[in-house]
Amino acid sequence: MKPFEYTKPKTVREALSSVTKHSHYIAGGTNLVDLMKKQIDEPDKLLDITNTLPDQIEVKDNGVVIGAMVRNTAIAVNKAILESWPLLSKAILKGASPQIRNMASAGGNLLQRTRCPYFYDLTLPCNKRKNGSGCGALKGNNRMGAIIGYSDACVAVHPSDMCVALAALDAKVNIRKADGSEETMNFLDFHRLPGNNPEKDNNLPENALITSIFVPKNNFSKHFEYLKLRDRESYAFALVSVAAALDMDGNQISEARLASGGVAHKPWRWTKAEAFLKGKQATAENFAEAARIAAEDTAPLSTNAFKVPLLKGAIETALHTCLTNKA
Amino acid sequence: MSYFFDSKNTKQMPKGRVEGIAKVTGKAKYSAEYDIPDVAYGVMVGSTIASGRILKMQVEEAMKAPGVIDILSHENKPYVSGFSGMKEMPDNRFGLPVFYTDKVYYNDQPIAMVVAETIEDAMFAASLVKAEYEEAIPETDFAKKVKEVSLKETENDRGSVGAWENAPYKVDQEYTIAKEIHNPMEMHATIVQWKPNDKLVLYDKNQGVNRVQSVISSLFDIPTDNIHVISEFVGGGFGSGLRVWPHTIAAVMASQQVKRPVKVMLTRPQMFTMVGYRPESWQRVKLGADKDGQFMGIIHQARNNSSKIQGFSDGITRVTRKIYGFKNVKTEEAIVELNLPMPTWNRGPGDTTGCFGVESAIDELCHELKLDPVEVRLKNIAPYEMETGLPWSTNYLNECLEKGAELIGWKNRNPVPGSLKEGDYKVGYGVAVGMWGSGRSYTGASIDMQKDGVITVRTAMTDIGTGTGTGMQNVAHTVTGIPKSMIKIELGNSDFPKAPSQGGSRGMASVSSAVYAASLALKRKVAGYAWPDKDANSLNIDDISLSDKGVTYKDNFVPYADIFSKNNLNDIKVEEFAGPGEERKKYGFCSSAAHFYKVKVHEKTGKIKVDRMVIVVDAGRIINPKAAANQVIGAGAGGIGMGLMEEQLVDFKTGRLIGNDLAGYHFAVNADVPLIEVSFIGKPDPNINPSGAKGLGEVGIIGAAPAIANAVFNATGKRVRDLPITVERFFNA
Repeated sequence: MKPFEYTKPKTVREALSSVTKHSHYIAGGTNLVDLMKKQIDEPDKLLDITNTLPDQIEVKDNGVVIGAMVRNTAIAVNKAILESWPLLSKAILKGASPQIRNMASAGGNLLQRTRCPYFYDLTLPCNKRKNGSGCGALKGNNRMGAIIGYSDACVAVHPSDMCVALAALDAKVNIRKADGSEETMNFLDFHRLPGNNPEKDNNLPENALITSIFVPKNNFSKHFEYLKLRDRESYAFALVSVAAALDMDGNQISEARLASGGVAHKPWRWTKAEAFLKGKQATAENFAEAARIAAEDTAPLSTNAFKVPLLKGAIETALHTCLTNKA
Repeated sequence: MSYFFDSKNTKQMPKGRVEGIAKVTGKAKYSAEYDIPDVAYGVMVGSTIASGRILKMQVEEAMKAPGVIDILSHENKPYVSGFSGMKEMPDNRFGLPVFYTDKVYYNDQPIAMVVAETIEDAMFAASLVKAEYEEAIPETDFAKKVKEVSLKETENDRGSVGAWENAPYKVDQEYTIAKEIHNPMEMHATIVQWKPNDKLVLYDKNQGVNRVQSVISSLFDIPTDNIHVISEFVGGGFGSGLRVWPHTIAAVMASQQVKRPVKVMLTRPQMFTMVGYRPESWQRVKLGADKDGQFMGIIHQARNNSSKIQGFSDGITRVTRKIYGFKNVKTEEAIVELNLPMPTWNRGPGDTTGCFGVESAIDELCHELKLDPVEVRLKNIAPYEMETGLPWSTNYLNECLEKGAELIGWKNRNPVPGSLKEGDYKVGYGVAVGMWGSGRSYTGASIDMQKDGVITVRTAMTDIGTGTGTGMQNVAHTVTGIPKSMIKIELGNSDFPKAPSQGGSRGMASVSSAVYAASLALKRKVAGYAWPDKDANSLNIDDISLSDKGVTYKDNFVPYADIFSKNNLNDIKVEEFAGPGEERKKYGFCSSAAHFYKVKVHEKTGKIKVDRMVIVVDAGRIINPKAAANQVIGAGAGGIGMGLMEEQLVDFKTGRLIGNDLAGYHFAVNADVPLIEVSFIGKPDPNINPSGAKGLGEVGIIGAAPAIANAVFNATGKRVRDLPITVERFFNA
């Protein structure tokens, strides 16, 4: 690890004014510290923001505001979240390990970087780590790679489980920019596709801080599922995950949400499949058709063709489970 | 140094492992944890190409980094007699001649070691060490090269292939298994301390202190007795500690060079490239039988990958010649040399791999024949040791099969694949067996009795988590009669009586005999002091017993206090050695296991869950049921890894390993493993050694992976012949 300076600002204002070109904010540090140990990220200065950002979950009339500093575990076990947004809790609990969830912050979860093995090995080419060096995974081992939304420059996937649920639940991200002004971004616009600039994971302005995440009220608390398929049952990133949520009127689907992890550079919403399901009966045939619609836009890489049938099976299974899941 | 950190508290001994309290309270010291004054820290630097030559080391920048003392490489190293003037690489029995070659044989090959004042300084400086290479195109893809290498006869064939040409039922299939990394919890580490007069102390993680001693002795041309190796606690090995690897040799070199103690601990990614792994393998099994399921013959061909440094054959076809009574056997093997790190023995080496091929093929044959795979196996168990013609000393594989079938409820299995369902899951049952030659090696143990009657039993053998120390205590207690609370255990130290490396399931079968012999010797010696007028050697040993207070012979009792004071003794010491003998010429010895598993396979996602695991083991007398069951449970969990998820991927272009850490390389976690139901036949083997214990470290994993694959077939009708059965292999089958 490269030696670095460490400070702990007391306020957001102080944090924003202390930031320099080679500094990083650090909250839970569950990803950043790894990146520093592997010398993928080598900041000169760490600004510990754990004392500056809100760490409360506030229920409002129109939704819930989750402070950026709320630990992942605290979200997952929060009574209001479990009652009204149980999909979020379920997704969080499928991620990482209890120890990591205890440390990881809500804001940091959005900012974790890909686990693409080419990104983590300094001797291998990776445009995300060093743009212009090439994508080692494109023609190498891309088993964990994307099946949609990728470019020749990058086939990495976003690793978060929590973000898949937030994408499905139409969340918003509240941001404080370096100049002190505030901005709210739709969650779906927060992360980006790689294009020719895979070194940029998201659209967070330079040196800005995520202050909180807003999840609107919805009718998805009765019929939901987060299905994560992976090589083992704990402490493994998703091969494919599916966040599914249905708003049911009898056996008719009034609204549907479908999102996936492990398939793209960002948490992916299957909007065409959602549109298909809207107004349909909750039948095996319709679920299979929704899965087919989602999968038809995918284009797997050289060693991850299995992700397409896996995705279809996962969507069908998750939708079925929505009908029986009890919050 | 003792397992018992409070010597005055000997009356309250733990009831589980002798070292249990020390381990769970953090008082157990692993190799890297010894605090040696003035120690410097060494960090290994690996190559960044997989094939070629180092033109020049670039260490200037690293040398300027804070705290750096020296950087060793082939351009800057001390004299090592075993490496200098060495001929061509493949002849070198030490593996990689670390810092004595400019050639690069695999990616992350150790090419330098940074020695610095702190671990942080050393790690940072290591990141600055670069090399200028002349690069060649590496060969890294096993599947691509495997068929190009010619097979060689193993020269252990029986009968002829022609004899079963017209067998009415035949199976002829190919099977593959991915590379598997040992990944013990404790990372390999060495602290080296040179002492005056060419004496050397090594605190080293390994599975055999005497092996380390002899390798370092021959490499550095130092008398064995000058080398003291301490490995008191070892956090798992699985075979990775059976060799002396480059980092240990480099640590000795570094300590010599900087004239200070040096500590080296591998990082987790280095655990993937620097201490071996189970090689990737290909097998072809051709099997013939008559209509009743009587085996007529087998052809078993196998290839495994090796490095380009040293050939390593895993011995994949050995098990084929052993388990069943084939009259006609043809076995062929070959090594596929690649620009990959050096493979080595990994739990149940060879046999675990071979059994996947053979036990899968038998399942395929049974399906063809429409015969029950348990019945067919029972019909074909080797009636004697086929290779030698010797009668089995004991072989209760038949009882393992019968008991396992009953415990799992084999009668509930439907032989027609895909017929059973539970919810959205298809359900299937599978069986496979494993066998392992029961070895025994020449082993020493000593016992030292103090005035209060407390004894300390010592051996050089390590305890890599297997419960060796606890087993030693059990034997000493049983034979002498001294309560367990007064028996201390010390081991993993080359100052203690010599012992073999702890591998190949030989540990307990070997050390139990030495402790048995030493316990008898102690009884006789104490009795000799107690009744000096009697000839101690003529006393019936069974009439002598020791207790917490003294020695009893028939109706006579003498307290320890009297013995020590009358004879003016400070302690009573005995040392005995025991090893195999004539019985090896009379009998064949084996341990065996039957694996009966139930799996569930999700219809839509292909998710495979191992729902039940019944493992029945014949390992002779079970000295410590808890520790023994623990061994089998661990092996069974390893079997799930091998069967479903363990796979070291390689970037073929560069030879770099993909996902080389505990997040990227998946072995089974608790959530993947059901309650493993272990039972033992428990009948002592009367010939192997005085304790009747046969080894059991390996058999718990041999046969585990094929039992899973066979159960997956029974559940779904999909025959997966390539391990691990990850979702893509399941979909493609």
